[in-house]
Amino acid sequence: MKRIININIGLLLFLAVCFSSCQKDYGNLNQPTIESYLDNASAAQLNNLVTGTLSGMRITEGLYLDDIGAISREMYRFSGADPRYVTDLLGAAALSNTGFYITNPWAARYRVVKNCNILLQAAGSSSLISDAQRKGYSGFAKTMKAYELLLNLNLTYTNGIRVEVSDPLNLGPIVGYDEALTAIAGLLDDAKTDLGGADVSFPLGSGFAGFSDAAGFTKVNRALAARVAVYRKQWSAALTDLNDSFLDLTGNFYTGVSEVFGTGSGDQLNPAFFVQNSNGEVRLAHPSYAQDIEPGDDRISKATLRNSSASSGGLTSDRDVWVYKSSTAPIPIIRNEELILIYAEANIQLGNFDEAIDAINTIRNGHGLPDYSNSEPNTNDLITEMLNQRRYSLFFEGHRWIDMRRYDRLSELPIDREGDEIWDKMPVPLTEQ
Amino acid sequence: MRKLLLLMAGLFCMLLMPGHLFAQTQTITGRVTDANGVPVAGASVTVKQTTQGVATDGEGKFKLNIPANATITISSTGFKTQTIKTDASTSDLQIKLEEDVAKLDEVVVTGLATTVKRRNLANAIATISNKQLNGVAPAQTFDAALNGKVPGAYINANTGAPGGGISVKLRGVTSVFGNTQPLYVVDNVFMDNSSTSAGLNAVTAAAAGGNASTQDNPSSRIADLRAEDIENIEILKGASAAAIYGSRAAAGVVIITTKKGKQGKTKISFSQDLGFVEVRKLLGVRQFTAETAASLSSDPATSEALKQQFLAAQSAGKLYDYEKEMYGEKGFTRNSVISMTGGNDKTSFYFSAAQKKEDGIIARTGYQNTSVRLNVDHRITDNIKFGISTNYVNSSADRGLTGNDNNGVTYGIALSSTPQFAELHPDAAGNYPINGFSASNPIQTRDLMRNNEGVDRFTTGFNLDAILFKGVRSNTRFIARGGFDFYNLQTDAQFPSSLQSQSVAKGTSIQGFSKNLNTNFLLSLVNNYTPSDNLSLTTSAGVTQETGDYNNLLNVATQVISGQGNVDQAGALTAQQFRQKFQNDGIFAQEEATIIDAITLTAGIRFDRSTNNGDIKKYNAYPKAGVSWNLTRMNFWNGNFFDNFKLRAAYGQSANFPAYGSKFTSLAVSNTGGFPGSLVNIQLGKSDIKPERQTELEAGLDFSVLKGRLSMEVSYYSKKIFDFLLLNTLPTSSGFSSQWVNAGDLRNRGVEIGLNARPVVTKNFTWNTSVNFWFNRSRVTNLTIPPVVLGSFGLALGSFRIEEGKSATQIVGITDEPQGIKVWGDQEPDFQMNTFNELTFKNKLSLRFLLHWKKGGENINLTNLLNDLGQTSPNFDNDDNKNGVPDGFDRIGRIGVTAQDFVENSGYLRLREIGLYYNFGTMGKVVKGLRAGVSLNNFLTITNYSGYDPEVSNFGTGFSTGVDVDPFPASKRATFHISIDL
Repeated sequence: MKRIININIGLLLFLAVCFSSCQKDYGNLNQPTIESYLDNASAAQLNNLVTGTLSGMRITEGLYLDDIGAISREMYRFSGADPRYVTDLLGAAALSNTGFYITNPWAARYRVVKNCNILLQAAGSSSLISDAQRKGYSGFAKTMKAYELLLNLNLTYTNGIRVEVSDPLNLGPIVGYDEALTAIAGLLDDAKTDLGGADVSFPLGSGFAGFSDAAGFTKVNRALAARVAVYRKQWSAALTDLNDSFLDLTGNFYTGVSEVFGTGSGDQLNPAFFVQNSNGEVRLAHPSYAQDIEPGDDRISKATLRNSSASSGGLTSDRDVWVYKSSTAPIPIIRNEELILIYAEANIQLGNFDEAIDAINTIRNGHGLPDYSNSEPNTNDLITEMLNQRRYSLFFEGHRWIDMRRYDRLSELPIDREGDEIWDKMPVPLTEQ
Repeated sequence: MRKLLLLMAGLFCMLLMPGHLFAQTQTITGRVTDANGVPVAGASVTVKQTTQGVATDGEGKFKLNIPANATITISSTGFKTQTIKTDASTSDLQIKLEEDVAKLDEVVVTGLATTVKRRNLANAIATISNKQLNGVAPAQTFDAALNGKVPGAYINANTGAPGGGISVKLRGVTSVFGNTQPLYVVDNVFMDNSSTSAGLNAVTAAAAGGNASTQDNPSSRIADLRAEDIENIEILKGASAAAIYGSRAAAGVVIITTKKGKQGKTKISFSQDLGFVEVRKLLGVRQFTAETAASLSSDPATSEALKQQFLAAQSAGKLYDYEKEMYGEKGFTRNSVISMTGGNDKTSFYFSAAQKKEDGIIARTGYQNTSVRLNVDHRITDNIKFGISTNYVNSSADRGLTGNDNNGVTYGIALSSTPQFAELHPDAAGNYPINGFSASNPIQTRDLMRNNEGVDRFTTGFNLDAILFKGVRSNTRFIARGGFDFYNLQTDAQFPSSLQSQSVAKGTSIQGFSKNLNTNFLLSLVNNYTPSDNLSLTTSAGVTQETGDYNNLLNVATQVISGQGNVDQAGALTAQQFRQKFQNDGIFAQEEATIIDAITLTAGIRFDRSTNNGDIKKYNAYPKAGVSWNLTRMNFWNGNFFDNFKLRAAYGQSANFPAYGSKFTSLAVSNTGGFPGSLVNIQLGKSDIKPERQTELEAGLDFSVLKGRLSMEVSYYSKKIFDFLLLNTLPTSSGFSSQWVNAGDLRNRGVEIGLNARPVVTKNFTWNTSVNFWFNRSRVTNLTIPPVVLGSFGLALGSFRIEEGKSATQIVGITDEPQGIKVWGDQEPDFQMNTFNELTFKNKLSLRFLLHWKKGGENINLTNLLNDLGQTSPNFDNDDNKNGVPDGFDRIGRIGVTAQDFVENSGYLRLREIGLYYNFGTMGKVVKGLRAGVSLNNFLTITNYSGYDPEVSNFGTGFSTGVDVDPFPASKRATFHISIDL
């Protein structure tokens, strides 16, 4: 009996010894981990984070444009699979703080913010890059972070956003609209400081063609700062920022930077593109777009006539939204046409009507319209005209709702069905509470 | 070390020369019959304390060499075991076996290397015989054949698509996000039962909306197994029985034993099934009028056009029922199996080759399975047995395109907005019209699309059993078991550019390749020690190892060149790869003591570690213990009423791994402009993640009366899951959406009652019946994070919510009552019942049927909602509440107000299987047996559920069963069977 036990124990010991030596740690077989990026990152790794940031900015961008477009009645979004585009967004049902229309864009933007924070941290601790390079990464990360925060703030408005989010388990408070705008402006200014004397040695891709060095990127930074300045009603600051931006009053309207799309592996297609005359999943220009447009305005081409009109939930339109004309068409981040209109806006507010009217005429003439005529130019009329030009020039680029809200004119937007409403803000997602 | 080597050498010697232990032998013959004198074929006749044994032949005869004064044991499934002591005068034995209705003598697995008779078992272990599994009305796949047959289980078909997809939950939910499915062990091989998505999300964008799950509804890989090859199934439902299987046993273990060779003349059997399959139920379509057609648009011009379109279609007689056209096919089914068994006293084999081919209820769908199995058992010496079982399977399923999507491309979603006057049929030239009511023409999609899942799978299990040492009162065996399970899975989804829905992608080809290799082995020593007739001890100890290696490559090509399917024949290509590896090591020891054949005590412990855990080096201990006390075997027991009366209790622990990769915060690839990009993943890692831990206490009593003609088993269990894993929703402003956390504790309690009876036994008629009743109640007893809404599409449409103090499977949703959110239902049924009956007339004609009653339990039914939104539901124009507004609009108006309409009772009473078989018996010299029969599956279902079928799961196999989003409709089957033994 004792012998049996000896054999048993012996065999077990033998196997146990064998086993404890065999255990492996497989690690993550599929993806790099954050830890590996924070451990003295190489320039190549930091560049991956830059590209990931630029790529991540595009996620749910189509939905962001749908949100702004539908609420401000630029367009309708019909979907066979989701009724909430024509119920919740149009006010037939309350906006929900778990609705995909806020939770998805909110999360996608903060994901990019996180990527920027990782880039800041990784670049800050890397000994493999020069100080000038470090400043370049930092200027880029802060600018992009500010832009992403601004997009979320555009949705939640006075419900606010979080600005300090670097520690995922200990987030900063949700701050109100004005405070958030101040913080965003501050980030852009920090970034500008970093970019002075920086070496932007990382590839920014074709969306930043012409703006991919430190000087060029600084112009982009200032263009965004100008947008934030008019949101903050800081008119002279807006002009100062425009001065340092790529504003060109006589230049191509489409000069600027954009999110680009491609069919390459791991790349994305433009989510805001639908083929004309589609059914089921469609984006239609709101009927008022064609009704209100001045004769001769070439911007009617952004809303093409369909073979047959489409209806859903008691809403009908016979025009497709036709702003992005292929699945790889870029979506502008900011472009010269907006800068010209910011220039006009700031000048109207500062009383420089002639400057402003010149800028507005640049836009009007550029789209086949005659000069603006008003025997007694005044701020209100000019603002109306400026907003109207922004409506057509920046159609389905995510501006209309914010513009009308800034001037407290949401009540001027059309309501198509009894019981519908124009929302002024979206709720902060439930998960934030 | 040297001592160890010596020991090993000694051990090796023993393996080689144990033959000398037997000196004198004699040869005996015998014949085994049942109480009526009918021969029992395949009964096993073994010599106690040895591995010697034979099986009886077709006439019940056997011949066996035995040592002097041996004790031989005769056993056969369904009969009470007999023990006979032999002496020198024994030569020819006539043995009559008694029927064992209560299955007291059935041998049941209790350890990794040990078994015990049911009489002494401390757990309620469900067993399913081949006849129950396959002998009534065979299902399409093995997993579907389990449905309704396992007391204590909630089994649900996820989809009616060919190739199946079955969710099996034993004793309630054992995990929310972890594995909820049991471990399948087939002939000692741990089978992989994962589901591999075909990447259809690239076309359907199902994950783009309210729920990030891809909702591809893949089949479960256990479906590859052939039910015909299975001898029996044992189901260890919780940790108290399964603890010894360690970390993978948290959701239970299903132990499957395939058929083994039988000694004697080679027997060849051939069976052929022919039948058809058709849809179980259609929902119907809205019957339009010129007015209702016009009302589809509020735009006067469009409205008028719709009216004219309707009138034109009506006068041309072209009003269609597209639902019927889509789901109304009658599919032809066939299944052929040839099997062969035979062997001599050294070697026996079982061989089978089988092919099944079935068409689906949707054109161009179907399932095909070809399987070859060879099981060989060989006796190397009198003391060493070796067995090997091998199985090759090739299966192919064309699964169509159903379920949720956000692009309007699946059949159901496209049909939901397509009125009957739309023209979808191709013209004479074969051009399909554009469907003006949806993003796709579903008839075109059906005719031109392909979604195939093909598997090649090779599984091998082995079993070595060697007596190392043998004394009068003690023997020690060395047992080695293990095997590997390898498969290659290819998913092939093709959407040609001519499809209406491919106007942007211009042709999509999604090619997935998966390779999976699982291996496992067990080395164990088992010592039986019988110090006296009143005490017997079984000690077992050993080590185990399991490994898994999964590699999935998914290529999505768009802008595919016309007529081409290869991913290189395309303008754009994206690839995804996912790899997964694990290694689990275990050490176990178990002691079983039987005292005066009445009290059985079991205690065991398993130490386990896994590369999936946060700390890969740490061993976790999972103990178990059980006691059973058979009162009728005690001296104090008087009276003859009870043949058997047993009290039992068992306790055990097990664990469930954290999800693969939950330790890491990683970065996904996200490229732009041709540059490689890293974008932080939305899931925050948790480096100190722990496995879920489960404890289960089970207690019960078993008794049988009336000479075993009536037996009953009553069990109560309380299963607690500690540190269950939850994907905690993080504020997304952190950049992350979720993080795995050990979030709390939950509990399942339930009762299982089983009754086996043989109410009528006459010479001409016998009736065997079993009735089972069971229910489960779960409760989240502790939750360290705020309540989590999960598993569906949010509160507006009804969703699951994990909340402290509430049922784990509660369904909550919005309400117009003041509280805002309300519990609308629970996925958990109130109770379930089944009854399996076999009525045999004159030993020739038998009628078998299985009835299954699920009382209560709710589904989240969104299929009707989608039909309402598309204004095509059959009752859209009704006005039941007489408010002058069509009910369809009333229902649409309640969206966002209340979720009541979507949470629906899914109870049913279902005649799952019924079969009538006639046994012609021996015919002439060649044909040893001939049987013929007819069977029906799912032909009768009584339910108030308004969807296609109360069994449905849009999210496949996991926590959230019962979400209904335009599924592949369920079907019913009718089959004719014939089988011949040669």
